[in-house]
Amino acid sequence: MKNGSCCMNLLNRNYRRHALPALALLLAAGGASAEKLVMPKGMGGVPDIGAIPCEVYSEMVRIAPLGSRHSLITWSAGYLQAVTGKPLQEVVNAADRTGPPWTYDRLGDELTAFCTANPKAMTRDAVLSVARALEAKQGAAK
Amino acid sequence: MSEANTIAQPAPAKSKLWKPPIVGLVTFVLMFLAVGLGHTMMVMIEHYLGRQTTLAVSPLLGFSGIVMLWYGVKSKNETFQTWIGFFGGIVVWMCWVEFFYMWYGRMNWGMLPRMDGLTGEGPLEISGTYPEYMIMGATVGLLLMMLCFYTFDKDTRCNMFLWFQDKLGLREGLGESTKTAKDRNYAIITFMETFFVTWFCYQWNLLTFDPGLMGKGNLFLAVNLGSVFIAVVWAGFCFTRLIQFKRTATALRYAIPVGNIAWVNVEILEKLDLMSHEVFLDPWSHTLEASVLFGALVTLVVLLLLAPKKPSELGRRAAPATK
Repeated sequence: MKNGSCCMNLLNRNYRRHALPALALLLAAGGASAEKLVMPKGMGGVPDIGAIPCEVYSEMVRIAPLGSRHSLITWSAGYLQAVTGKPLQEVVNAADRTGPPWTYDRLGDELTAFCTANPKAMTRDAVLSVARALEAKQGAAK
Repeated sequence: MSEANTIAQPAPAKSKLWKPPIVGLVTFVLMFLAVGLGHTMMVMIEHYLGRQTTLAVSPLLGFSGIVMLWYGVKSKNETFQTWIGFFGGIVVWMCWVEFFYMWYGRMNWGMLPRMDGLTGEGPLEISGTYPEYMIMGATVGLLLMMLCFYTFDKDTRCNMFLWFQDKLGLREGLGESTKTAKDRNYAIITFMETFFVTWFCYQWNLLTFDPGLMGKGNLFLAVNLGSVFIAVVWAGFCFTRLIQFKRTATALRYAIPVGNIAWVNVEILEKLDLMSHEVFLDPWSHTLEASVLFGALVTLVVLLLLAPKKPSELGRRAAPATK
């Protein structure tokens, strides 16, 4: 009890010693606004192609089809790598076993078609839709 | 427009209409409208042929401008040479520069357009700086190098380069021009003038709009308002000279830079959200207005074709005096 009391006191003393700076840091962290992602000013495109409205993406595809489609395919590759642990090539290879092949063009077509059909959705929804389709194909292949 | 028709004009007479400032006014309005309707022509070609077809046939379409030029260079009629040089220059610029860059930027290199509203200051949307214009901006060094040729060319008759030569003390070193007016072929001169003036004015706008150079804050605003000031003064100064012209062919050539420099203001004011030239870019949404403007352009062209010409404009030169 005595030892426990001692430790409690030490803890309290430590707690009191660190509480104020910790509180100050917490307040400072809470008060600081998050940095807006800003690209180099001369560049084209957006900082996060997966987080823009589909109607904006569709307009980007209309003006610059190759670059816009490639950007979202690249974003999809990152997403699929995070979810499946596999690079995009392996994911589409697995999906190729059933149905029509998932070529680079088809990936772009599927993403673009989703956004055309769902202008109010976000581009990440298009990626999710394609990821689900790829997953379903892989599931069917197993 | 045919050479025969142009040559078949009535013999020049003292016209009460075609004299200063009417000649200059008409050619200025025509060239100013031509810049705007040049945009319309591009979007209409792309719309009706489809982008893929347009980009595929643009090398051939551009070559038609060279065929026009070849036809014009062979002519002895200055008015015809001027018109053909102008239209040939427009066609070649449109097909071999704009459509080529469009293919490279959008379809080959996979570039993305610049976007507005990235920092949340407005809706996220595509700015007017498409990939082809980002490529074009990078040609500024090439343009300046080419302009050096005209700066150091003793045969140039462009007032701006003559002014540079004067201020740089080049006149003596370069010597007298070896060419007289009759040695000049106005088809190739107007062709190159149209091409370079268009290139120069594009560069002017593209560099002052480039957020990588100017940012999007005070510097951007200051530079672009400064550009408006320069463009108004420059175009205004040239306009005061233009309205003194009597010969339609000379006035047409002089009006090419005047109209283009004046147009620089339109692009800047549009960029600053102070006006819009949407009527030229989306004629389907402004059918009546676009039709009226097109009708006005055609009328001005016809008026200028019908205007009385001096013998020298028609390739008929006075015979040398004999004893």
